[in-house]
Amino acid sequence: MFTFMGIDYGQLVQGDRIHASLLHDPDAFAEEMDRIFIRGWVFVGHESEIKLQGDWVTRQLGNESVIMVREDDDSVNVVANRCAHRGTTLCWEHQGNSSFFQCTYHNWRFGLDGAVRAIPFPDGYTNPKEQLGLDRAGQIDSYRGFVFVNLDGSAGPLDEHLGAAGYELIDRLCDLSPTGRIDLSKGWIAHRVQSNWKLWPESDSDGYHVGFVHASMSAATDTYYDEVVVGGDAVSSSRAVDYGNGHLELDFRPSYKSELSWLGVTRDKVQDYYEALATRVGVESAEEMLWQGPPHAFLFPNLFLGELVIAIVEPLGPGEMIHRHTSVQFEGVEKGFNQRLLRQTEAAVGPASFITSDDAITAERIQSGISGTHRSWAKENRGWIDLSRGLHREEVDEMGTRSSDASDETTNRGFWRRYLEVMTRNVSM
Amino acid sequence: MIPGDLHAEVEAFLYHEARLADEFQLDEWEALLTDDFHYWVPAGRIVGEPSEQLSYLNDNRTRVATRIRQLKTGKRLSQLPFSPMRRIISNIEVSDLGDDEISTKANFVIYEIAAQSTGELRVWPGHAQYRLRRVDGTLLMSAKWIELVTAEIGQRNLTFLI
Repeated sequence: MFTFMGIDYGQLVQGDRIHASLLHDPDAFAEEMDRIFIRGWVFVGHESEIKLQGDWVTRQLGNESVIMVREDDDSVNVVANRCAHRGTTLCWEHQGNSSFFQCTYHNWRFGLDGAVRAIPFPDGYTNPKEQLGLDRAGQIDSYRGFVFVNLDGSAGPLDEHLGAAGYELIDRLCDLSPTGRIDLSKGWIAHRVQSNWKLWPESDSDGYHVGFVHASMSAATDTYYDEVVVGGDAVSSSRAVDYGNGHLELDFRPSYKSELSWLGVTRDKVQDYYEALATRVGVESAEEMLWQGPPHAFLFPNLFLGELVIAIVEPLGPGEMIHRHTSVQFEGVEKGFNQRLLRQTEAAVGPASFITSDDAITAERIQSGISGTHRSWAKENRGWIDLSRGLHREEVDEMGTRSSDASDETTNRGFWRRYLEVMTRNVSM
Repeated sequence: MIPGDLHAEVEAFLYHEARLADEFQLDEWEALLTDDFHYWVPAGRIVGEPSEQLSYLNDNRTRVATRIRQLKTGKRLSQLPFSPMRRIISNIEVSDLGDDEISTKANFVIYEIAAQSTGELRVWPGHAQYRLRRVDGTLLMSAKWIELVTAEIGQRNLTFLI
């Protein structure tokens, strides 16, 4: 018999508003870490981070620390970063290369596949060795190098979670690389923010705030955001899109005024890149792709495809999180091209950036603003957050995809619709 | 051994530069920079080629001008208001490289109040490497590289002049 921790999610998440208590309630947080980060599919990392056999990185998935490792047979494995004996953390650095994992407490040794290899003084054990391996992710799947896991193994297949839209968004990014492959091995930068993790899927896909929160960026720099999103209603050609399953996009494609706006250059500056791309995809496709650029999208629950930046949303507690990002690097381009992407990433995202530092402050101000609300207030009509913008002009196509003006809260509603589904669906305990 | 007068001159420069940064005297701070100034806060140690790395901050002269321009718009939310802050500089080492080029190293601790949101006290310990150049008799700064003790664990907002 499954019982909620007394939280009536159906009451707190409504079509046009959500209750602010969900942004700081420790009970809700505990349930999210279980239902979303253990029982659902989450992004864990990219295969280019672990190119060689034995390469590993650690990553935090909700409350669980995991190790993503390249095995001896080149497959990618994800295991709990916790000794199967007494629970000691196995890897305390961010990355490394090992032929095995050894616990420092009693020197238990595990293979890259998680199976126990050696136990000192083994005569003391009668249980079969198969029972003594590391906890392994129940499901691991990847697409174009993006590795996803479902820790408990109970979610359906990855394609059910990503849907056609999830694949298309990843394709649209990777296809821009001359080889069709991207590399995410420049390291991740952690931006520590005193806010609930759910404020970032919303912020990363919210078009309404850009002209206000980022007014200083617009005033100080020549940014293409001015033409695709800053104007609110005036930029009616960009779209806020909810593909379902919590996958969201701010689709800037209709608003770009020139090709390569997203790269901030004209074609003559990157002629080699264009020619390499055209060689692979053909001139017609290459021309179109230079206009369209990479997606600005969020894949539920923790992966931001931020044009040429990839970010992971890492919850640490009800009011504490990390927005962890890296720069997309293309294969098959000149060094200078990828350096441009690094500089562009530094300008846009991170603690010292011109853009997301102001999103961080906004998230912290929201967190301060809502921290006194309680879920019992819902029925007294106090402590609600309004997400109704553009509901009257939202369009739904035959696939069920909702879209509206880029300044509308279609994306925010899409996140919470998925949240409600996940938090209330029946699970076996 | 560095002559006492050069050491004292460099020390005075560093204290002045620190005070201008602490007090958000942005134009006066910018006036200390050479045209080829490089400002770098790596995500780890100060090692390797900066242009090849993804850093917290890697500004050439043009970008640091943009950074200052953004701070001066009056709309930079993450510095609205400017953080009350003070830094302590110590362990100053000076090397005269000749040709009016001087290399300087120092440790620092910055105490900052996050006045824009939570109001908490944030402490920023680190190591700074400066390149100074004497131009027309006046010391200017051509590089400031910052190695944060906390580089690898991530940062809260870093939108003041570190």
